[in-house]
Amino acid sequence: MAQKTLIKLIVGSETIFFLALLMAFVYFSYVPTLNPRLVSRLDLTSTGLFTVLLLSSSFTFWRAEVSFRRGQTKQLRLWLIGTVVLGIVFLFGQGLEYRTLFREQLTISQGTFTTSFFTLTGFHGLHVLIGLIILSIVIYLAFLGDLDDPDSVLLPSVGIYWHFVDAVWAVVFMVVYVLPHVLADSTL
Amino acid sequence: MITDVELPEPEKSLPGATVNSDQGLLMWISSVDHKQIGIMYLLMALFYLFVGGLLALLMRVQLLVPNNHFLAPDAYNQLFTMHGTTMIFFVLTPAILGLAVYLVPLQIGANEMAFPRLNAFSFWISLFGGLLLYFSFLAGGAPDAGWFSYAPLNQTQYSASPGIDYYCIGLLLSGIGTVATAGNLAVTIITLRTPSMQYKYMPVFVWMVFIDSFLILAAFPSLNAALAMLLIDRQLDGHFFNTDAGGSALLWQHLFWLFGHPEVYIVVLPPFGVLSEVFQVYSRKPIFGYPFVVGSGIAISLLAFGVWVHHMFATGMGHTVNSFFAVSSMLIGIPTGVKVFNWLGTMYGGSIRFTTGMLFATAFLVEFTIGGLSGISFAIVPIDWQLTDTYYVVAHLHYVFLGGSLFGLFAGLFYWFPKMSGRMYSERLGNWFFWLFVIGFNLTFFVQHILGIIGMPRRVYTYPALAGYSALNLTSSLGAFLMGLSMLVFLYLLYDALKRGKRAGDNPWDGYTFEWLTSSPPPLKNFTTLPPVYSFRPVHDLNHPEIGDYKKPDEEKYGTKDID
Amino acid sequence: MGDQNSVDEYLSAPRSYMETLSMLPSLLRPAAAQADRIASLTAYFTIAALLVLTIVIGLLIYIVVRFRARPGDAEPEQFTGNKVVEGFMIGVPTLLVIVFMYLTLDTMADVLPPDSGTQPDVVITGHRYWWEASYPGTKAIVANEIHLPVGRRLLLHINAADVIHDWWVPALGAKMDAIPGRTNHLWVTITKPGVYEGACSEFCGAQHAWMRIKVVAQPEPEFRDWVARKAQVANPVLSASAQAGAAFFSRQPCGSCHRIRGTAATGAVGPDLTHFASRRTMLAGLMENNPDNLRQWLTDPQHVKPGALMPRFIYPKDSINVLVDYLSSLK
Ligand code: HEO
Ligand code: HEM
Ligand SMILES: [Cu+2]
Repeated sequence: MAQKTLIKLIVGSETIFFLALLMAFVYFSYVPTLNPRLVSRLDLTSTGLFTVLLLSSSFTFWRAEVSFRRGQTKQLRLWLIGTVVLGIVFLFGQGLEYRTLFREQLTISQGTFTTSFFTLTGFHGLHVLIGLIILSIVIYLAFLGDLDDPDSVLLPSVGIYWHFVDAVWAVVFMVVYVLPHVLADSTL
Repeated sequence: MITDVELPEPEKSLPGATVNSDQGLLMWISSVDHKQIGIMYLLMALFYLFVGGLLALLMRVQLLVPNNHFLAPDAYNQLFTMHGTTMIFFVLTPAILGLAVYLVPLQIGANEMAFPRLNAFSFWISLFGGLLLYFSFLAGGAPDAGWFSYAPLNQTQYSASPGIDYYCIGLLLSGIGTVATAGNLAVTIITLRTPSMQYKYMPVFVWMVFIDSFLILAAFPSLNAALAMLLIDRQLDGHFFNTDAGGSALLWQHLFWLFGHPEVYIVVLPPFGVLSEVFQVYSRKPIFGYPFVVGSGIAISLLAFGVWVHHMFATGMGHTVNSFFAVSSMLIGIPTGVKVFNWLGTMYGGSIRFTTGMLFATAFLVEFTIGGLSGISFAIVPIDWQLTDTYYVVAHLHYVFLGGSLFGLFAGLFYWFPKMSGRMYSERLGNWFFWLFVIGFNLTFFVQHILGIIGMPRRVYTYPALAGYSALNLTSSLGAFLMGLSMLVFLYLLYDALKRGKRAGDNPWDGYTFEWLTSSPPPLKNFTTLPPVYSFRPVHDLNHPEIGDYKKPDEEKYGTKDID
Repeated sequence: MGDQNSVDEYLSAPRSYMETLSMLPSLLRPAAAQADRIASLTAYFTIAALLVLTIVIGLLIYIVVRFRARPGDAEPEQFTGNKVVEGFMIGVPTLLVIVFMYLTLDTMADVLPPDSGTQPDVVITGHRYWWEASYPGTKAIVANEIHLPVGRRLLLHINAADVIHDWWVPALGAKMDAIPGRTNHLWVTITKPGVYEGACSEFCGAQHAWMRIKVVAQPEPEFRDWVARKAQVANPVLSASAQAGAAFFSRQPCGSCHRIRGTAATGAVGPDLTHFASRRTMLAGLMENNPDNLRQWLTDPQHVKPGALMPRFIYPKDSINVLVDYLSSLK
C-alpha cells in the first residue's frame, strides 16, 4: 500500500520534471514560429513505428499483471520478457535515430533545437533504461519464484512507473514529432 | 473513559535497531531510526548555519567601510553565493526536514517512517551534496553567480571556474534527497497514523509538513530540470541558456523561480506548524481557528505556484503578465495574515509562559509581519521596479528567513529540546541568547531597508562613500557581530544543557501531542500503546479530562460554531 | 562649454550636511514624473503597512502584558475560535489588497506604457562593467556619464552586450533589466536639472559594484549643445607629447577594443574614448578622472579594477606618460 502511494507521488513529481523539459523544447522550437526545416530532419515514420512498440509494452505489462493476479507464473514470465524486449527495441530505435542525426552534424551543441531535443528524448530514454533494469530484476525474482504472493505490491508498483514512462513518450511523440508535421503541412 | 489501544509492532525489526548502542558513531551512521536521522539532519543544519554565518560575517567585514579592500571582488562574489545557497539548501531545508522526520512519526503515533532505509539514504545524499558543493573551494573556485545563478552569467564563458558545476551536482544530489524525504513523509502521514487519528485530528505541525511535502514534490522537479539543463550547457556545450548561441536568459528565470518561490514557502510552512504548537502549549489554550490555520496553509501552498514572476517584474514583461502575478502575490498576504491573527487569538485569553521558545515565537510575530509587509511592497509592481535587487530585498529576505523561518525553528528547538535530549536547558542562558540575537538581527537588517531606498544595489563587494551609506553599513556590520556573539552563547547553552541540564520529565511543558506521552528521549520503539484520538490535543485530553476537547462537539472543537 | 560649467558649479558648490543628504539618490526624492508617481504610491503603501504593523504590535503588546502567566494561574478558558473574528481577519486585508491592486494597475499604466514604436531618444547598452549610451539620429556615443534633457518625455531603449545588467537611477523612476537578445524600454520625463546617481542592479560579475551611472539632466538647449559636441570626431590640438601618445595608441592593440572617432580605433568592447577627458569620473564611477588615476589604470588595470575586461599591457613609464597626455586632451 505504502509502496504504491510513494510511487504515485514520485511519478507525479517526475511529471513536472518532464513538463519543464518539454516547456524548454516548446520554447525553442515553436516560439515565435515553428521552424519547419528542423522538423523535416526527424523521421516520423520510423519513430512512429518504435513508438507503437513502446506503447504496446504497456499492454504486455498489463497482461503480466493479470497473469500475476491469476497466479499463472509461466505467462507472467513470458509477458514480462515481452515487455523488456519491446523496451530494448525502442531504445535501439532511439539509438539509430541519434546516429542518423549525428551523421548530419546535428549534435547536442548544434543549436537550441538539438539541445532541447536531445535533452528531452535523452532523459526519457534514461527513464526507459531504468525501467528495463527494474524489470530485469523483477524477471529474475519471477524466475526465482519469489513473485508468487498475489498480495505483493511489487508488480503493481513497477507497473505505475512503466505506464508512466510510456505515457510520457506518448506526449513527447505528439509534441516533438506529430504536431510539428501537422503544423508544417497546414502552412505549406 | 479513555482506554488505550494496542499499537501494532513493526513486523520485522529494523536493521538499525539491531546495532548495539555501545557502538558509538557506527550506530549513528548505520541508523535508520527516524529520531536519530532527524537529529543528524538538525546537526547538519546547525553545522552549516555556523559555516554560512561565518561567510556572512566575512562579507560584513568587507562592507564595514566604503571602498574597503579586505576581500577581493571574486572572493566576495563566491562568499555571497555560497552563503545564500548554504542557508537555503543546507540550513533551512535540512532543519525543517529534520524536525519533520523526528516529530511526524511521534505526533501521529507511529513507530517509524514508512520507509526507514529511504529516510537514511535521503539524509546521507543531502549531506554529500553539501560536502560536494563545499569541495568546490578546493577544486578551483566556488560558484560565484548568486544563489539563483542567472543565465547567461552561469555559462562557462562568463563563469569559467568549475564552481557552478559543483553547484549543479551538489544541489541535484541534495534535491533528490529532499524529494525522497518529502515522499516518505507524505506516505508516512497517509498510511501510518494511529487508526483513530482522522485528518481533522492531526496536529497543525503534521498538517503543515503534509502540505509541505506536496510543495516539495511539485517544486523541486523544476529546479532539478533547470540544473540538469545547465549542466548540459556547461559540460556538453548545449545552448539552453547561452544567449550568445540563441539560448534564453528568461527561460532559466522562469524555471528557477517556478521552484524558487515555492521553496521559500517550503521553508516557512513547517515553522508555521511549529509555532502553532508552541503558541498553544505555552498559552495553555487550543489553537484559535484550527480549520483556518490549516486551510490557510493549503491556500498558501496553492498560491505559491502562481506568483513566481514577481521575481521578474523588472525583466520587461507585459502589463498583463505583471498584473496577474501582482494580484496573486498580494493575495498570499491574506491567508498569511489569517495565521498571524489566529496566533494572536491563541495567545489572547491565555496564561502565557515566556520560556525561550515562546520568546522566539512572540518575536516571530513582529519580525515576520515586517518581512511579510515588505514582501507585499514588492508585489506592488511599480515599487518593485524601484526596489528589486537592492538592499531592500536583502532586508526582506532576512526578515522572512531569519525572523520567520529561523525564529520558528528556534522556538521549536527550545520547545522540543527536553524531548530530544532528555535534559532541560538554562532559561537564563536562553534569555541571553534570545535578546542578543533579536537585537543583533534588527540592527543588521532593519537599516538595510533604508540602504535599498537610498540606492544601494545588492551583491556589491563595496560601495562609494555616499552620505548615509557609511553609517548604515557600519550599523549593519556591528549588528552582525552581535548576532555572531549570540550564536556562541547558543553553543554554550547547548553544551551546558547536555552536560549539566536537569533531567526533563516525559512532559515538562504539559504538552498536547503524542510525543509528550513517551519518555524523554523516546526509546527506539516510540510507543507500545496509545489512547484513542478524539481531538487534535490527545495528550491534553488525557491529562486534563475535566476540560478535555474530546467532550466537545466538533463545531466547538474548531471554533466554527455560529455566535448567538 | 556652458553645460560643463553649470554642472561643475552644481557639483562643486559648498553644501551643508543636510544639503548633501538631499543629493542622495533616493526613490523618495523624485526628479522625474514617473519617479514621482512611484514615490506617492510608496508613501501610501508605507502608511498602510505601518497601520497593519501597528495593529499587530499593539495587539501583541496588550496580550503580552495582560495575559502573562501569573503564579497559581488555573488553566484558562479553552475557547477555540470565533467565526466573526475570522471574518474580519479575512475581510480587512482583502479590502487593502483591492485598494492597492487598483493603485498598482493605475501606476503601472502611467509609468511604463508600451513602447510606441518610435525612434528612442537614447539607446543604453550594458557591458561588463560599463554603460554605453548612443543618441539615435546623431553620431554621439558616450560612456557612463549620460546626459539627458529636462522637460521632455524620453524613450530609452535598454540592451545588454553580454550578461544581464540593470539600469537604475532612483530619482528618475523605474529600473529596467538589460537582457542579452532582448530590447526593453523605459519612459522618463525629467522635471529638475541636476546630476543623478545610479548603479547597475543586476549582479553581472566581478565588478558589478563599479558599474555606476551618472545622469546629467540639463535644459534642452544645453543638452543640444552637448550632443552636438559629442557627435564630433576627436579633433584636439595636441601637444608634442600627446602626439607621441596618439601614435603609440595607434600602434598598440588599444584600438581593437576602444573607439576614438576620427582615428583608426574602432573597437566596441571597451568604452568609447572620443571625448574621454570631458568625463568627470572614470571606470564607471570608480575614481575621479585625472591624469594620476589614469596613469595608475594604464599601468595595471587589474590592480585598479580587478576583473575588468582590460588586460594588463606592460609598457615603459614614458609610453604611459604620453598615453596619459593624449587621452587627457580628448575633451
Ligand atoms: C520564508 C521566506 C519568504 C516568505 C515567507 C516570503 C513572503 C512573501 N514574499 Fe518574499 N518571502 C520569502 C522569501 C523571499 N522573498 C524574496 C523576494 C520577494 C519578491 C521579489 C523581490 C525582488 O527581487 O524584486 C517578492 C515580490 C516577494 C513577495 C513576497 C510576498 C508577497 C510574501 C507574502 O507571503 C507575505 C505575506 C505576509 C504578510 C503580508 C504579513 C502578515 C499579514 C498581515 C498582518 C495581514 C494584513 C496584510 C495585508 C493583506 C497586506 N518576495 C526573496 C529574495 C530572493 C532573492 O532574490 O534572492 C526571498 C528569499
Ligand atoms: C538562516 C539564516 C540566513 C539565511 C537563510 C540567509 C539567506 C540569505 C540569502 C538567500 C542571501 C542572498 C544570497 C544571494 O544573493 O545569492 C543572503 C545574502 C546575505 N546575507 Fe544572509 N542569510 C542568513 C543569515 C545571515 C546572517 C546572520 C547575516 C549577517 C551576519 C547575513 C548577511 C548576509 C549578507 C551580507 C548578504 C549579501 C547580500 C548581497 O550582497 O546581496 N545573512 N542571505
Ligand atoms: Cu517569491
